[in-house]
Amino acid sequence: MAAYKALFNLVVAFFLVLSLEGIARKIMARIQRRIGPPWYQNFIDLFKALSKHPFSNGWIFDFGVLMALGGALATAMIIPMGSITWTPFPNSDNFFVIMYLFAVGALGMAMGMVGSGNPWASIGVSRALTQMLGYELPYLIVMSSVIFFYKTASIHKLIELQRGGWNLLVMPLGGIVAFISLMGMLGKKPFDIMIAPAEIASGPMVELSGKYMGLLHIMHVFSVFVEISLFVDVFLGGGSFGWYLVKFVVVWVLAVMISSVLPRFRIEQMLKFYWGVPLGLAFLNALFVLLGWTL
Amino acid sequence: MALSTLLISLLVTSVIIYFVSKASWRVGAILNFLIGIFLISYVFALHTGTTSDLGTLFGQKLQLTWTNASFYFSAVSLMVIVSVMLFAIKWLDSQKYPAAFNMFLLMMTAGSLGVFMAADLVTLYIFWEIAVLSSMLIVPMGKKESRKAAVIYAVMSASGTYMYLYGAFLAFQRYGTLNISEIAKQMVSDPSTGIKAAIFLLLASAGIAKSGIFPLHTWLRIAHGNAPDAFSAVLSGQLVKLGSYVLMVTVAVIPSLRVFANIPFYSGIPATNYFLIALGATSIIVGTLMAIKQDDMKMLIAFSSVANGGYILIGIGTMDPMGFEGGVLHVFNHALAAAVIFMAFASVVYRTHTKKISELGGLIHKMPITFLAYLFAIISLAGIPPMSGFISKWMIYQALVRKGMFITAFIAFFGSIGSFLYVFRPLAGVFLGQLPKKYKDVKEVSPVMWIPMMILVVISLIIGIWPFPVLQPIESMRADFGIAPMVKISDPDHWLIRGFAGNWNPVLVFNLFLIGFIIAYILYTMFPRSKKVDLLAPHKEEGTPINIYTGGEYIYTPELYHYNTKFYAGFERMYEKHPSWEKVLGMLAKFFHDLGEWVHGWFFRPSPSAYAFWVSLTILIVFWVRW
Repeated sequence: MAAYKALFNLVVAFFLVLSLEGIARKIMARIQRRIGPPWYQNFIDLFKALSKHPFSNGWIFDFGVLMALGGALATAMIIPMGSITWTPFPNSDNFFVIMYLFAVGALGMAMGMVGSGNPWASIGVSRALTQMLGYELPYLIVMSSVIFFYKTASIHKLIELQRGGWNLLVMPLGGIVAFISLMGMLGKKPFDIMIAPAEIASGPMVELSGKYMGLLHIMHVFSVFVEISLFVDVFLGGGSFGWYLVKFVVVWVLAVMISSVLPRFRIEQMLKFYWGVPLGLAFLNALFVLLGWTL
Repeated sequence: MALSTLLISLLVTSVIIYFVSKASWRVGAILNFLIGIFLISYVFALHTGTTSDLGTLFGQKLQLTWTNASFYFSAVSLMVIVSVMLFAIKWLDSQKYPAAFNMFLLMMTAGSLGVFMAADLVTLYIFWEIAVLSSMLIVPMGKKESRKAAVIYAVMSASGTYMYLYGAFLAFQRYGTLNISEIAKQMVSDPSTGIKAAIFLLLASAGIAKSGIFPLHTWLRIAHGNAPDAFSAVLSGQLVKLGSYVLMVTVAVIPSLRVFANIPFYSGIPATNYFLIALGATSIIVGTLMAIKQDDMKMLIAFSSVANGGYILIGIGTMDPMGFEGGVLHVFNHALAAAVIFMAFASVVYRTHTKKISELGGLIHKMPITFLAYLFAIISLAGIPPMSGFISKWMIYQALVRKGMFITAFIAFFGSIGSFLYVFRPLAGVFLGQLPKKYKDVKEVSPVMWIPMMILVVISLIIGIWPFPVLQPIESMRADFGIAPMVKISDPDHWLIRGFAGNWNPVLVFNLFLIGFIIAYILYTMFPRSKKVDLLAPHKEEGTPINIYTGGEYIYTPELYHYNTKFYAGFERMYEKHPSWEKVLGMLAKFFHDLGEWVHGWFFRPSPSAYAFWVSLTILIVFWVRW
């Protein structure tokens, strides 16, 4: 049963996020008064990329891509989708396990791309890791206070414990900080420093061709699924599978709308931003939780 | 064989090894390795509770006893030492003094084992000094700067040990015993908090100096960076763990929660422990930030040892069942990871004769096995599953979150994410990217050198998937020290590790990763085959470009396109003007040096009349006092 649920996770993630990415392009176009591509454009792009003859820059390049996709798939399989019914592995959906398993994929991607030997890729990876230092710290502090408050790090239990009220309302500061961190995780503007097509030629992706581009696109799809699902599960309560999808779409559309009107930060500006207000609010939230001042 | 006989015969054997090595160092190294194998089997066969006497001092018995803690620490140490001994069989041919290396390595092993067996404070001190002195004599065998490194190492270590010795005598004077467990018992009933805290902190300072915790951490960079390359693996993987052991003795064997129950500071943790935790947290910050900006790869990992020492201290300092087990398990994880990393670096230096990241690159094409060893070791060091390093970090986080220690947790998270940054630097700068032309004839090191690395990597991977063989000795250790013995963390029957906030199944997580990898591989094979880009083409034939690159540009001098200097420039710029503790210590050293010069100038004037004056003054004083 658990295996079917895990497989279902993957299927949902693939179709949901890939369509949402297309929808995001549409939304962004409309905000910028363009018409934009059709919503299924990303499916076309993905299959086209996968079908082309690629170039490989050595075995570590291949291995890095496999490790990246493998790590992202593994993490996507653990994620609960809104309730215990859609939790494939109720015994292992621990928050820290998910966060660190997720890092396997990131490390694989970084390693493979630097293995391509292209300096733009190295610069992109250096930026991506620095950005991780930025957004993870406020996020982890908020998550620690959530775990401290509910005395559990298991995601499906956190969902159940939000019956009385969503976490976004119980600790609004935490919810806001987590959303700001989510923007950084997703690499949406103003936090798309590691990709920055105009500066460093898409950074880590510079040497990707054909199926490598396609496979890492799939990896990205699962990463987005994991990141948004964690936010939805931990801060927006539980409910039926349909509700979960609705919340997922709302969070995604919100992130896209914010990102489509903002310019890009520089790397220091990003760090100063994250270690300023969001980190301060995260600590304030932790203090409120310690003092019992939750709504 | 009694414990004391073992240690003394090891010390004697080390001298014999020296003379054997003088004849043929390779025979000496092989003998060393065989002795190491024997020691491992001996350690696993010993029963807890075995004691043996060493002698008497001040009417006190000096004793060795074998406990669960001795077993755990000795086993970890021997794993590291024996793999370095195997590594040295080949590696020593690049060294100037192989015979002395063999002798001191074995002597240091004996000293370390003695420290873990010691039942009283003075025995611990004696073996401690044996370990420190013999390792101190290995350090200057490295490069030019190593002499100074050895002096700094000795001074830093001594400043810790003398405080420890003072603490030991303070305890002896007050409680009339040197036996650690006796002292622990008496400290619980001692009403004077001040003296208890003094003893506690004085004893802990030896551990602070040795495991490179904040105010005394500067020697790690210098000693690890300049010691002979393979010995850095022992320094960071094993010797530093002596410090963790002493810290564990002071915090856990002396039941600090009960001893200092009257000075709680936060969340049930006494102020004394919290002081140590604060030092550990500072070490994490200092170690991480400094590691990120190092160009010398050995110094980079030396600073990471500072940060990881901080994790161990924080974990043990909380005295929480999760935190304690996490801290002690981190000893194992860091020992293995650091040993492999330093051995991988030793292999790189063995082949390329440089340890500067900015001069290296692309070695994956030439040394793929060393690369793999390094890769798996950093996955463990950065605390990423499925390697074992994740488990201990997970436990420490559990403890910190449970206790509501958000600031310490923040620092722990910072150190963890920061470790992704710094472990990636040598990976990208040394192994990946472009191979400089001068290294085009570099070869993989011999199997004698890569086998020990791979063995440690495999152990670390297996423990990451099935951690119970290591968790169980730690659990029995925790029961010995009475830290919430009812709490069971490892649950091998259900394949679970149980935290206060939810469980997880390491086997399942590994399998998920495996399945993810298999799916990825299937997808990979389903789609068209790739053409290979030969990154080494310009090396093979002069004037051949790499064919696909940055949008089809032709690249003829690829090493110019290797990005490895100031990898995180954007971040490094933010703390360029940081205050430097090394400078403060340097100023202190300068002050004492000048004071010495001044006194020296007074007594040793280059004129005969001054000598005549001092001589006559001395004679006058002697007459006057009538000695």
